[in-house]
Amino acid sequence: MVVVPPPSATALPAAPAPAVYRHAPGDPLEKFNRHMYAIHQKLDRAVLRPAAMGYKHAIPSPVRGGVRHFFSNLGEPVVFLNFVLQFKLHSAARTAVRFILNSTIGVAGLIDVAKGSAFELPHLPNGFGDTLGYYGVKSGPYLFLPLVGPTDFRDLLGSQADGLLLPLAVGRPFDRLEYAVPKAVLTGLDARAEYDADLKALLDDALDPYATMRSVYLQDRAGEIAALKGTSADVSMPGDEIDPAAKGARASATPELEDPLADPAARPVPPSTGPKPAAAPELRDPLKDPADFRPVAPVPPAADPGAPARR
Amino acid sequence: MRSRFLAPTLLLVPAAAVAQAEDPARATVQALDDGLIAIMKSGKAGGVAGRSALIAPIVDRTFDLPLMTRLVVGPSWNTIAPADQTALVTAFRKMTVGQYARNFDSWSGESFVIAPQVEERAGDKLVRTTLRGSGEPVSISYRLRQNGGRWKIIDVFYKNSISQLATRRADFSAILASGGPKALIAHLDQLATKSGD
Repeated sequence: MVVVPPPSATALPAAPAPAVYRHAPGDPLEKFNRHMYAIHQKLDRAVLRPAAMGYKHAIPSPVRGGVRHFFSNLGEPVVFLNFVLQFKLHSAARTAVRFILNSTIGVAGLIDVAKGSAFELPHLPNGFGDTLGYYGVKSGPYLFLPLVGPTDFRDLLGSQADGLLLPLAVGRPFDRLEYAVPKAVLTGLDARAEYDADLKALLDDALDPYATMRSVYLQDRAGEIAALKGTSADVSMPGDEIDPAAKGARASATPELEDPLADPAARPVPPSTGPKPAAAPELRDPLKDPADFRPVAPVPPAADPGAPARR
Repeated sequence: MRSRFLAPTLLLVPAAAVAQAEDPARATVQALDDGLIAIMKSGKAGGVAGRSALIAPIVDRTFDLPLMTRLVVGPSWNTIAPADQTALVTAFRKMTVGQYARNFDSWSGESFVIAPQVEERAGDKLVRTTLRGSGEPVSISYRLRQNGGRWKIIDVFYKNSISQLATRRADFSAILASGGPKALIAHLDQLATKSGD
């Protein structure tokens, strides 16, 4: 099998947050979060992962899949509502049809018939955290919580609202512990088991797993919300013009992308004037080569063979 | 006699090749993807070392590793001694090669589909690909920049949003801030030894 190489790199024990730097951009609670991360890792090693792998090996795959689909299907009303709140009526309708199909011929959601080639209605993720982001609510500080994992203030609030919809709108049995506890345990174990390979590939190769996970989470969420806003890939991107001379003028949703990598000793870069294609947010960060910005000297430094001249 | 029949064909072939949009940036990505499929097909037999040896020259050709290292390190690059700069690029290269060799270790029908159109912005190009296998397709995009007349990869995006450079920058920053370049080199080397062949 292929494990897509994680965006992180490289191994070794976690690097402790150094004294000199207080927190990374977007993570004002870094000290607290790193504590929580350490607690979570201990819990994971001692209980979560062993239990999840036990669940995976003890329960046949079709049964686990059925349980996964069952709970996922009960989440579709939340997805539907959020598409409506975002006035994405086509996706809302697809989600509604999907929910009806899976709840009926899919035997109360146990079988994902809607996804198959007959209907081609795969699950579309959405939630209140997405709706908040869609309407411009910033993520707020990043949070890492034991058992919850990586999140932020907006998404934590959103996921609480997601979880309240059925209990409030329908009531029994969704507001009972007899439902909520098995749901939390089964979906938690299943997700942990399903993501195990990816998580291992990501974190085993990280020098600083905490920072790697934070970076991936924040970038992933920013990408999902950009996609809902239609600012990804194939649609035009408002406000994506970055003037290379205006350093840090525009805060990016992904804190790691904020730094345009301009050296203080940089020679001034002429602002690019050509028309900018609208697509490809991936090209937003100018990615200026730090080696390029040396004081203009009569002789180019020989020690810098790799730097292409960027104009 | 023969050449008379061949001539029109010969004229058509290059035209068709051009029409296929053999964008040089796309060709770079194609070379990497072909290399990745090759090491996947070579399987576990050669071990990490065998797959590393196969993919290393391709990584060297398709990635601008020195530039990627500089971008990951950021503005403090210019304060780093030249010997440490060289060591960082070497470590970064080893890490990149090792990661591909470890993760692409078997083949079960996966393929890469490279989008025909190449997007461009401010001199850089973006080539989109999709990894198709047994599960959900995965979008992987490559950002390329021209260096010495060749288009080389300088960043890789997963799901169109997760930048490898940005993630590595986050991953390295605490160690760089606390221990400087030497600590980072030590960590990277230690990793290479641990996970290497």
